[in-house]
Amino acid sequence: MNGWLVAAAVLVVAGLGPSLWGAARGGAGRRVVAQNAATLLLCLVFLLLAQGYGRPSYVDLALVTSVLGPAGTLVFVRLLGDEIDAPPPGLRLLTPLVAVGTPATLVPLCIATGPGRALLKLLVVGALLVAGGLVTSRALRHA
Amino acid sequence: MREALDDALVVASLLFVAAAATAAVLTRDPARQAVVLSLLGLGLALLFTVLQAPDVALSQLAVGSAVTPLMILLTVREVRRRKRRE
Repeated sequence: MNGWLVAAAVLVVAGLGPSLWGAARGGAGRRVVAQNAATLLLCLVFLLLAQGYGRPSYVDLALVTSVLGPAGTLVFVRLLGDEIDAPPPGLRLLTPLVAVGTPATLVPLCIATGPGRALLKLLVVGALLVAGGLVTSRALRHA
Repeated sequence: MREALDDALVVASLLFVAAAATAAVLTRDPARQAVVLSLLGLGLALLFTVLQAPDVALSQLAVGSAVTPLMILLTVREVRRRKRRE
């Protein structure tokens, strides 16, 4: 039984599903918040999959997602600008999601990885996720 | 057990892609459609990864989550601006 893959499957069903629901309905602000949550969750899913499949190179996917996700959200905030009602509904759920989800996934992964270059990569991804969460929630609040 | 888990992941990703594509079709406003489209791009990247094609997933991530929505939004903005001018 591979716990990492189970966790990834749970995150896909219970995390990405609801964020798709959030992105498919409601106003522009709510959709952008849901899109940002989806990139965060997908990044965590990629990390879990990399560990579950035993392929450290899959972490690159998470690295790219953690950079492109917030960038995409900022593009939406910039171009949807006046359509986003500030603060958009669901925004207050985003900060706890980043604050709880990122450590809850990364700490077990770091322990399983052990010291080395791979650990450094994981920490970089974690830092990017937290920074991205901060930047995007700030941008959304002042949209 | 491992095969069943892999299959479950593939099925979940496929369902997510199908749902996201349906949602993108059913959304009428192009700007909001771009947001759903970016989620569809993320879902496809996930699908490619669980099918063990991370290289395809990498390019899908770049194109689907950032570039396509950006181009759609820029186009929508330009069209709206021209309409306002007329």
